[in-house]
Amino acid sequence: MLTKKILMKKFTFNLIASALLLSSATMLSQELVVKSNLEGLTMSVGETFKPTSFAENLKGEKTMCQAVIYYNKKGVFSTAKAVTVNRSEGTIRANEPGTHEIVALCIGQQGQRLSRTFPVQVDFPKAKEIKITLSSSKIYEDSYIPLDFEVVDEMNFTRKNEFFQLSTDSNNIEIDAFNNVKAVSPGKAVLSASFDNISTSLTIDVLENPVVKLELKADLDVARTGDVVNYEAIGYDKAGKRIEGLPFSYTFSGKAVDKSNTASGLIMSDGKFVAEVIGDYMISASIGSSSVSRPLKVVGRGIEREVLKVGKGVVTDKHTSDFWVFEGVDGRDYAVTGTWGADGTSFFWDVTDPANIKKIDSVKVDARTVNDVKVSQDGRISVIGREGASDRKNGIIILDVSNPYDVKILSEYTKNLTGGVHNVFIDNDHVYALSGSQRYYIINIKDPKNPVEVGMFEVGKEGQSIHDVWIEDGIAYSSNWRDGVYLVDVGNGIADGSPSNPVAFANYDYATGAHHATFPFKSKSTGKFYTVLGDEIFPDGVDENNPNITAGFLHFVDFSDLDNPVEVAKYELPGQGSHNYWIEDDILYVAMYGGGVRIVDISGDLLGDLYRQGREIGYIMTGTSDGYIPNATMSWGAQLYKGYVFYSDWNSGLGSSKVSDLKPDNSKANQYINKTPIID
Amino acid sequence: MSRILFLLLFTVSLGYSQEYYFYAAAESDDTVSLISFDGETLTEEERIPVGVMKTENEGPHGLTVDPSGEYWYLSLAHGTPYGSLVKYSTATNRPVDKTTLGMFPASMQISSLTGLLYCVNFNLHGEMKPSSVSVVDPETMTEIKQIQTGVMPHGSRISPNGRFQYSVAMMSGELFEVDALSLEVNRILSLDKGGKMSHKGMHHSPVKPTWVTPHPTKPIVYVAGNGSNEIIEINTDLWKITKRIDTGKGPYNIDISSDGKFLVATLKGDAKTLVWEIDKKNKSVVSNNTSVTHGVVISPDSKYAFVTVEGIGGEPGLIDVIDLKKTKVVASLKIGKQAGGIAFWKIEE
Repeated sequence: MLTKKILMKKFTFNLIASALLLSSATMLSQELVVKSNLEGLTMSVGETFKPTSFAENLKGEKTMCQAVIYYNKKGVFSTAKAVTVNRSEGTIRANEPGTHEIVALCIGQQGQRLSRTFPVQVDFPKAKEIKITLSSSKIYEDSYIPLDFEVVDEMNFTRKNEFFQLSTDSNNIEIDAFNNVKAVSPGKAVLSASFDNISTSLTIDVLENPVVKLELKADLDVARTGDVVNYEAIGYDKAGKRIEGLPFSYTFSGKAVDKSNTASGLIMSDGKFVAEVIGDYMISASIGSSSVSRPLKVVGRGIEREVLKVGKGVVTDKHTSDFWVFEGVDGRDYAVTGTWGADGTSFFWDVTDPANIKKIDSVKVDARTVNDVKVSQDGRISVIGREGASDRKNGIIILDVSNPYDVKILSEYTKNLTGGVHNVFIDNDHVYALSGSQRYYIINIKDPKNPVEVGMFEVGKEGQSIHDVWIEDGIAYSSNWRDGVYLVDVGNGIADGSPSNPVAFANYDYATGAHHATFPFKSKSTGKFYTVLGDEIFPDGVDENNPNITAGFLHFVDFSDLDNPVEVAKYELPGQGSHNYWIEDDILYVAMYGGGVRIVDISGDLLGDLYRQGREIGYIMTGTSDGYIPNATMSWGAQLYKGYVFYSDWNSGLGSSKVSDLKPDNSKANQYINKTPIID
Repeated sequence: MSRILFLLLFTVSLGYSQEYYFYAAAESDDTVSLISFDGETLTEEERIPVGVMKTENEGPHGLTVDPSGEYWYLSLAHGTPYGSLVKYSTATNRPVDKTTLGMFPASMQISSLTGLLYCVNFNLHGEMKPSSVSVVDPETMTEIKQIQTGVMPHGSRISPNGRFQYSVAMMSGELFEVDALSLEVNRILSLDKGGKMSHKGMHHSPVKPTWVTPHPTKPIVYVAGNGSNEIIEINTDLWKITKRIDTGKGPYNIDISSDGKFLVATLKGDAKTLVWEIDKKNKSVVSNNTSVTHGVVISPDSKYAFVTVEGIGGEPGLIDVIDLKKTKVVASLKIGKQAGGIAFWKIEE
């Protein structure tokens, strides 16, 4: 009997369920909207919530969905951790404050789907403590007080820049509508702050401005654009004694010689100044109501030179990728170029006479792209990377180039490299080969016919990705996109590393995450050590209107203190993006894709925007009329070799040029511009 | 009168023609081709450049077309480091939206029940550890979930009722069934002879399954055993292997005609395509016009199989059209290098 009752109940339930489903199928074909208790929801961090949703038509008739799938609109990869979905429990959990979008996807009987996005507000947890701190040890009258505001909440999240309610009973300080606090007269003042019903206060001791006399020293009174001038303001008390530790503020004004320009530059809080434009400047330092100024005349660098195209090795039937110029064992000069999206060919060239570049041999391997090519220091071995192999094994090919007129394949190595080798480097009988854009393997090629893997380096983070590796003085500079540059000891000794035990000892990353290449640069003129980090950006994304639009620039990072790298300067060519580059004798040779190869003076102290400072010596538009894609400059890389600037261009092949000693002759220039074009 | 009727019908049949449209990806060229076939000739209607970074090869791999026919979707295998899914309009062949998936996303399909897209993250060159199926809402182009499956999952196909998604794990030798509604793994079946294996420890499946496709009307799925040179038939009601059918070398991708009569499998290792009349147990092998046969899709009217052939090195990829009744290649077309993923769009009359 009991069984029959259960069966009857089940039957009745099924009948009702079927009716509901049937009606839902019908109703879902009418105009319906998803309704949910997610509407207007506010949660606290850490709270869970069980959403319920249904479909409703214009008449207000409800129908249940066969299933409702909830998700955070930010997706799995992005910041979906802010609100997570527990599908087995059918709940959502708020993990981070902010406004988040939760999608309720209602699945109907017949596969109709109905969805709606609900903004869910997740409040910051209640504040438990607020802090105001002074970011300067001494506060003088007539100066603005540098303050930091911080909130610590009940979940121990810390956040800055909240707007506190400030007040004071003292006449020694003034607070404006934007929470700027000014010290107006000497004496103690109590600054009170409140936020979210929590209060705190800070006692400020406003000091009398002791300065009676000011002096502004400079290491130059006449400078070129791009020269860093060091200013030092000194204050003296009424006894004529120098006062230490005064928090000066530096500013500048100026007038450009060119009335269509404005006198622009950059001044730092430590008194370093660099001008971008020729003109007359006034540099000032102030403390409180005391100030001092000093004029600075800024002239041009006068470094522009004619750049002459000398020779070319045109590739007419496929894209060209990277290249390497080397001295062969016979003392002559050679180059190797890779190809891209083609048939796995690499070309070898005799460039002994840079004006008469000759193709002398080629090697074809199973690949569609040979993205990178390198040659050993002794000119005997070349290594090329493979991508798009027909057997999907990719890896590297090791070549005997002791006779570049008759290059021989010595071996193929694919272990752990099947994902494609985008870049390689050879250093001291070891190949550093990128694997599937995630890590690199270190392979001993002392016996090039029998390569042996000895080590591996990876950043060790989820989502790690690597684009390039470059070795100099036993340090591998690993370029890791959003993780930035890693300096890895592979034999230098600084961190007891070796090829079989690579040890990372320094790192710098930056916000765009577009870090694609690194060149270490020890300045001959200043002795400072930089890593020059290059971006690679295609800003249009998948929706390209013009495939040649590129972006990104070179970041100059002062690594003099390995534990505290500081980004000090950049080279950015307006409207063009960076690719590969070379630095030698304080001159940068950078391929800027559609902008050609730019030759830039990077001598002296570096600060600010090097392009705007007129540091460009010249440039080469590397396209050619008989290239694979004619007249379409797309510079891939540059290398200075025995006084010539060699380059590869994606659309045309290999080329050479020379920076002459001649200054551009403006008398023959286009009347509307000041610079002469490159003589081709 | 009957003569007039006959003449009328004859005239009508002369004027009646069908145009088949489909998309095919060229993995080493970073392009997708829109191709038409009129019963005799293949035409590349448009070659669409895909990818983000022009000077980096991003590897377009898997393709699928929305059931409405309004959009097509492409997986890009390579990234920094994750691959991505791009949504294109069939009206303009311009990209509409994009989202990031896992490592080396490959084949995918949209469920008619949920409207969600299920794409395997193949992770072909990665470590031997379980990968996942990405579930994406194509309306918002949001990845909703990554469902962990086996090692190197490939071949994402949806059951005819849209309720289940099937994929195989190439290196762990398993068939996975995912509930398209709960977004959880329902069942797992070991395909290697000798039964189930655990996920602990390394295992290189001798079967190396690379594709799974459901029968349109029966509770059966067919798996390509690339390593064991066989097609494996699994009864999904019993969740058991019911048959192992020998094929040529390296079956890779499979499709079944909508009338359930033909199973077509690309034989990657042989540069051939298997055409199998299932009920008649009649197998034919058709030679393709170059090497490395890859993808296959059968027209909805069950007349033609469109096959992609990768080619070697710098040679162009190919599309071969196989007439299923004649079991021979009746047309061929060159497209970009390493032709692979393929998806049918529509028939126009």
